[in-house]
Amino acid sequence: MIRIAAVGDVHLGADARGRMRPALEKVGEHADILLLAGDLTRHGTLDEAQVVAEEFADLPVPVVAVLGNHDHHNDQPVEVAKLLSDSGLHVLEGDSAVFRIGDETIGVAGVKGFGGGFAGKCGSNFGEREMKAFVGHTITIADTLRTALESIDADVRVALTHYSPVPDTLRGEPPEIYPFLGSYLLGEAIDATRTDLAIHGHAHFGTEQGLTPGGVRVRNVAQPIIRAAYTVYNVEPAAVEAAVS
Amino acid sequence: MTSEQYLSARLRRAIAEDPRTTELGVRVTVRGDHVLLSGDVACEERRAELEAVVHEVAPEVVVMDDVRVVSVAEPEGSEDLR
Repeated sequence: MIRIAAVGDVHLGADARGRMRPALEKVGEHADILLLAGDLTRHGTLDEAQVVAEEFADLPVPVVAVLGNHDHHNDQPVEVAKLLSDSGLHVLEGDSAVFRIGDETIGVAGVKGFGGGFAGKCGSNFGEREMKAFVGHTITIADTLRTALESIDADVRVALTHYSPVPDTLRGEPPEIYPFLGSYLLGEAIDATRTDLAIHGHAHFGTEQGLTPGGVRVRNVAQPIIRAAYTVYNVEPAAVEAAVS
Repeated sequence: MTSEQYLSARLRRAIAEDPRTTELGVRVTVRGDHVLLSGDVACEERRAELEAVVHEVAPEVVVMDDVRVVSVAEPEGSEDLR
């Protein structure tokens, strides 16, 4: 069994420095790996990223992160990712990482994701340059997610995004803003790759549990949803395989 | 749209875009001269910042603040995915 801790939308800054650290230092008692589902900072500044780095550095389990829209706000996502990577976090954007936990392996593919909406109620790659850029950004990211998931050779395969791959976990948000909260293209990539679990954040008023059209469990781990420093999912590779077959 | 709806939209946009707050996860509900804020923020300081931004945009309103500071406690249990 692999114990996966996860949290998103921690929105750290100097004013919240150290708040999560007591619970994080005990993460090894609860989990084998910690996933961060984006929006680690408020404005995406390097000062805030430094707070994030200090909060999540030197933990007893591997820490795997994607960035969120807040982490892009200062137009320095590459620099933010590098600062976090230099502090020992595994920051993913279109790539994957595999970890051995005892006798089992877990692979995580991560992208920020983006909006666009869900099947039948979504934007198209058509019309104004701005609209094509919006939808095109999601198409590109979903393609990289699919490739990264396909490349994983591990007992458990997890997709980590900031934006949601399904509408299920957005219940509680106004339906009118669903196109800004996620895209079915992410879900399609997850369903095409025998993925075991999808973790995302972004939707503070959504719900925790959802399912892709292909039957993959989805969990929204935005901190206002899980109401803890992190939440934990126990995944038994054999059980997941049996459910899929 | 009524003026209440315009005020709600203005306040929500200010809370999202003002560098002191940048909160997209805070709801704004306007009822007459009362404004209700709800949602979760990462620490106590940010509740005060929200109220400050609302007062600047709409100094005439009464602010009701239901915003909570999110818990950062250890999880109480775990979920088995079978």
